[in-house]
Amino acid sequence: MNGAIGGDLLLNCTDMSVLERQRAHLKYFNPSFDSPLAGFFADSSMINGGEMDGFLATAGLNLPMIYGETTVEVDPRMSIPLETTLGTGNFKKRKFDTVTKDCNEKKKMMNREEVTEGEEEEKSKITELNNGSPKSIKKMKIKAKKEENNCSNDSSKVTKELEKTDYIHVRARRGQATDSHSIAERVRREKISERMKFLQDLVPGCDKITGKAGMLDEIINYVQSLQRQIEFLSMKLAVVNPRPDFDMDDIFAKEVVSTPMTVVPSPEMVHSGYSHEMVNSGYSNEMVNSGYVHFNPMQQVETSSDPLSCFNNGQAPSMWDSHVQNLYGSLGV
Amino acid sequence: MQPTSSMNEEFLKKWQMGLQIFRPSIDNTSVHERKKAIKLSADVAMASLRKGTTCWSRALIEKTATEDNFLVRQMLSGIKAEALINKKLPKKIVCHRKIVRRSKKILRRKSKSASEEAAAKAKRLVKRRTQGLRNVVPGGELMSNDVLLLQETLDYIVSLQTQVNVMRSIVDAAEAEIER
Repeated sequence: MNGAIGGDLLLNCTDMSVLERQRAHLKYFNPSFDSPLAGFFADSSMINGGEMDGFLATAGLNLPMIYGETTVEVDPRMSIPLETTLGTGNFKKRKFDTVTKDCNEKKKMMNREEVTEGEEEEKSKITELNNGSPKSIKKMKIKAKKEENNCSNDSSKVTKELEKTDYIHVRARRGQATDSHSIAERVRREKISERMKFLQDLVPGCDKITGKAGMLDEIINYVQSLQRQIEFLSMKLAVVNPRPDFDMDDIFAKEVVSTPMTVVPSPEMVHSGYSHEMVNSGYSNEMVNSGYVHFNPMQQVETSSDPLSCFNNGQAPSMWDSHVQNLYGSLGV
Repeated sequence: MQPTSSMNEEFLKKWQMGLQIFRPSIDNTSVHERKKAIKLSADVAMASLRKGTTCWSRALIEKTATEDNFLVRQMLSGIKAEALINKKLPKKIVCHRKIVRRSKKILRRKSKSASEEAAAKAKRLVKRRTQGLRNVVPGGELMSNDVLLLQETLDYIVSLQTQVNVMRSIVDAAEAEIER
C-alpha cells in the first residue's frame, strides 16, 4: 500500500526537488548507499584497496545520465567502477524506473540479485546497453505520469524491463509544467546547482557570491591561480635542488607527519620574501591584485615563521632534523 | 572537500617515481629544463592518480604526450600506467562560425522586451564564463555538457590542491634546510 516508507523517503512530499526524489528512489533501492552528497568525493583510498577509482564509484551513483551520455564512445570498461558491493554498475547507464510501492519490493529483490551477480555479467550487460541503445540514453525521456500497480503480477517482466531500458518516471509537482522537456530541464538545472554548491565549498571566498556567472568567474580565477602556483613552485624546486632526486624514505616520513594542509595562497610567499624569480615573473603582483590576500592570514603567519611546523606535529625535533639531514645528504647540498 | 593526506602520499609517490627517470639526463641541464621536467612529472603523476576515470586526466596526459612523447611514455612505464596513454577521448566540439552567426542574427530579431533581454544577457554571460572554464580545465572543450564540466572542474581543483600542497611542503623543507 502507499504507506510511508521511511523517514526521509516521503515520495509524495512536494517539497523535495525532482533531483532529490530521484535520489530518494535510488536510496530506497539500494539501502547500502548512504548519502549521495557526502559520498561525492569519498576518500578514494578507502575504496577498493587504495585505487582512485573511487571517484566514479561514488560519483557514479549520483550521475547516471552523465556517464550514459559521455562515455558512449569510450571503452566501457573504463567507466565501470570495480566496486561491486555497491552495485553501482547497474545504475550507471540507466534511467530509473520508479514504480509504485508494491513493485518496489519486487524490484528490491531483483536488485539484490543483480548485486550479487558477477562483475562479468554487469560488464556485459552494460556493454550491451552501451552499444545497443546510445540513442535512447541520449534522448533522456523522462515521463511524468501516475503509475498503477500493473507490474504486481510478474516480477520477471519487471526484471526484463529494468534490464533493457530504464526511464525515470517522476511525478511533476503541483502547479508546475508536466512537459517532459521542462522536467528534464529542471533536473539538469538542479544538477548544475548542486555541483555549484560543491564548488562553492571548495573555492575559498565564494560563499558571498550568488549567481552562476560570478561563481564561474571565481572558479576560473582560482583554477588559474592554482596553475600559476604550480608553475612557480616547480620553478622554485628546480632552482633550489641541484638534482631532482629526493630521498624517498625521508619524504615519506615527512608526509606521514604532516597533517592535510589546506591550500594557502601565495600572499604568504609575498610576505616571506622568497626568491627573485617570483618578482621577475610578476607573479606576486598578480596575486595581490586578484584579491586573495584576505585568505587565511592566520595560517600565513604560522607557516612563514616556522616552515617546519607543518611537519612537526608533536614529534620530537631531533627525529625531524635527522630526516632532513639525510634528505640533503642525498641531494649533495 | 579538501585533499587528504593519503592523496598527498599517493601523488608524492608517483611523482618521485617519475622524477627518478629523469635522474641521469638532468644533472647538468639548465633551470628551465629542470623546471619543465619537474612540472611534467608532477602533472603526469597527478593525472595518473585518476587512472583514466576522469576526462581531464586523459586530456592532460594526451597534451603532455604530444609535447614530449618519449619522456611521458618513460614516466608512465615507470609508474606502471602505460595504458593511460592510449585512452580515447571524446571528440572535440566544433562550432561552425557561419551557422552560429546566422542563428544569432535570427535570435536577435526575436526578443525585444526588457526582462527577456536581461535574461538573455545573463545567459550570455554564463555562456562566456563556461567557455572560459573550458579553456582553463584540460580537456574542457571535449566535454559535451555543463554538468560534466563542473564535475571535472571539481576533481581537477582537488588534484591541483594536492599538487600545490605537496610541492609547497617540499619547497618549505628545502628552504628551511638551506637557511641553516
